Amino acid sequence: MGIIKKLPVYSEKIPGGGLVLTSLDAIFNYSRACSVWYLLFGTACCAIELMCTGAARYDFDRLGMIFRATPRQSDVILVAGTITKKFAPRLRRLYDQMAEPRYIIAMGGCTVNGGPFYYDCYSVEKGIDHIVPVDVYIPGCPPRPESLLEGCLHLQKKIKTQTISDWQEK
Amino acid sequence: MTRDELKEYIAGHLEGKLKPLDSGKFNPLFEVIESDLLTVAQVLRDDENLKFDFLSCISGIDTGERFEIIYSLTSLAKNHRLELKVVLSRENPEVESVQGIWPAANWYEREIWELYGFDIKNHGNLTRFLLADDWDQGYPLRKDWDAPDFVRFPELER
Repeated sequence: MGIIKKLPVYSEKIPGGGLVLTSLDAIFNYSRACSVWYLLFGTACCAIELMCTGAARYDFDRLGMIFRATPRQSDVILVAGTITKKFAPRLRRLYDQMAEPRYIIAMGGCTVNGGPFYYDCYSVEKGIDHIVPVDVYIPGCPPRPESLLEGCLHLQKKIKTQTISDWQEK
Repeated sequence: MTRDELKEYIAGHLEGKLKPLDSGKFNPLFEVIESDLLTVAQVLRDDENLKFDFLSCISGIDTGERFEIIYSLTSLAKNHRLELKVVLSRENPEVESVQGIWPAANWYEREIWELYGFDIKNHGNLTRFLLADDWDQGYPLRKDWDAPDFVRFPELER
């Protein structure tokens, strides 16, 4: 019973079995943090690192991160790559199509502030936080898979601090 | 034909319409005035010894004082290359479409129109396809272009 060791629970043995008592917050957060499904979304070279992280060597699956090909089934968009001004409304639309609670990880310099396209560039959005709210920023050009994993762990940490009452208010 | 032979042949054949420019070790470069462009292009494509059957690129240039448009031609049949330059005025940059001679010019000219604002006469399909759909900030590849979130690279001290 691995889950019992990680959650604040009270377990009571009764004849023929047992009861586990915990708070809704704890069980919800645990489930959500351990099944962060991400949208298949790569617009530039960061996507190569994302694929690498998802593949066997770095193995996203052990964090419960599985890629989904539709925003309706995803919890997070890992924005991997340059977002141009032309593409910005499409990103917003994908974000709007996701069900709450939803998260955004900005991966790489381009998504953080325009990165290498900051100067002398007319076509690149200087930071995706102009378009969608960002939960975790991962700098790097592109970030190594280790950084990406660290970013995802930070996201998990963030998810675990939330309470149900927070997202009822939204 | 070698590069120099090609240069001489074209200069002799289109006497008065083309002005040879020094292009160093690169492809031969000729300047043509806008009103002669279509006649020159027609000859370049149809002449037996030239046969420039492939328009490989159109480039726009903003030097700060004037606009230029450069047609890069390739002859797949004869295996030689040529650049044609047309100088346009900064106040009223307009140039005739060469689609009638090389249909490939369609998208190149749209791109030039979109990014430089050159008026391509008789194009027929000047619609936006590269910039954002709601773009209203002018022509971004012009030297004097500016926008609220456009950041110039700072001058470096040398």
